[in-house]
Amino acid sequence: MTDILQPIFGLLIFPGGLFALTFGLFLKGLDRKIAARLQRRVGPPVYQPFIDLIKLAKKEMVVPETAHLWGFRLAPLFGFAGMMVAVTLIPIAGVYQGFEHLGDLLVLLYLLALPAIALMVAGSASSFPFGAIGFSREMVMMMSYELPLVIVLLTVALKVGLATGGLATFSLHKIVQFQLENGPFLFDYTMLPALVAFLIFIPGNMGVVPFDIPEAESEIVEGPILEYSGSGLALFNLVTSLKMVVVLGLGVALFFPTPLSEGFLLNLIWFSLKCLVLMIISITLVRTTTGRLRIDQAFKFYLRWPTLLALVSLVLTLLHR
Amino acid sequence: MKKLLQKIVGKSPWLYRINAGSCNGCDVELATTACIPRFDVERLGCKYCGSPKHADIVLITGPLTVRVKDKVLRVYDEIPDPKVTVAIGICPISAGVFRDSYAIAGPIDSFIPVDVNVPGCPPRPQAIIDGILEAIKIWETRM
Ligand code: SF4
Repeated sequence: MTDILQPIFGLLIFPGGLFALTFGLFLKGLDRKIAARLQRRVGPPVYQPFIDLIKLAKKEMVVPETAHLWGFRLAPLFGFAGMMVAVTLIPIAGVYQGFEHLGDLLVLLYLLALPAIALMVAGSASSFPFGAIGFSREMVMMMSYELPLVIVLLTVALKVGLATGGLATFSLHKIVQFQLENGPFLFDYTMLPALVAFLIFIPGNMGVVPFDIPEAESEIVEGPILEYSGSGLALFNLVTSLKMVVVLGLGVALFFPTPLSEGFLLNLIWFSLKCLVLMIISITLVRTTTGRLRIDQAFKFYLRWPTLLALVSLVLTLLHR
Repeated sequence: MKKLLQKIVGKSPWLYRINAGSCNGCDVELATTACIPRFDVERLGCKYCGSPKHADIVLITGPLTVRVKDKVLRVYDEIPDPKVTVAIGICPISAGVFRDSYAIAGPIDSFIPVDVNVPGCPPRPQAIIDGILEAIKIWETRM
């Protein structure tokens, strides 16, 4: 009985579901607050995303007459479900084990693509020119940021795999375990380029300012989610906040999973702090200090610098085994 | 329960602005109200949104010219209920300096129900924020 209940608990309450949702929304609120303080504004309260969510859930949902009804309705659910599962794959050192299966890093890679695909479905199903433009830009963005991510993941997997005698270990659980025994990759110079590449990957994946080209607010008015209102938009907001938890949690698990001590709560707070620092470096600071790029510039940028850095790390790892 | 919900909802008004043929004076004033740190509207929980589908409070500037009339009415219809309309500047009230021009379809409130008027040509940022606060109060009762 308990072995059925445990995954359900994991999916709905901790670390997925309830915990991840509140954590993600708080991160979003903190992001807005810190960005406002950086611009010398007062900014909204930290609990603002919760309020927005309640309001959106109460509002009317307008479905355009020309929209493809099923695609339009199901697209946000699609992304939401994917992210809910993805959160449960992220191990939190000292708190949550994650799954011990062999390939959960690969599963995570596929699940991470789901929100972008949901956005694409939404953009094309809403039958609106701006939605279609957003759809094509989202596709280009995805192709560009996916490559450095794959190389970074491969580097980490190779590093752990080579050190433990195999070839490559695509198991987040094992990667975290390896770092707990041999020290985090943060202090390993061969992994530093990969870390920087991952930091550059985060804003592209989250769609924040220099890379918010698919949702460019001032030219194609939020692109794919333009036609959504009410509960559909609320779900899309949840998807982005869950994605934030997944991406930041993945960063923490890949590079610095060391727990603070034995205590459950203390470790959880430590994990949250690490996520917060990662968010401030890679999302808040980036989005308050830059302007938007064009889609071709972003594409070239991603194929050049992060890919190069990740490749450097890969070569260093292979040389230093 | 309803009181609590109204209170919560009042903390998250999303703004959308329609330019119904204004001379841009009001628009600039609105944009600076949003952008300049001193008059930060985000502390009220406001967010400027690009899409009419996300909006709660509509800010209309300009006298509604003949050319944009149909488009403005269509965009206004796309905003999901409940919504509150704030007319900014003298123009929506009486067409201001453009009064009696052949290009003006008329004051806005003969086509759209206007809830709050913020007079001035252009109004001061403080007056605009005051108008938004007024609109939030009305919007709370409609939710
Ligand atoms: S009220 Fe004055 S500033 Fe505003 S749109 Fe009319 S003429 Fe321009």
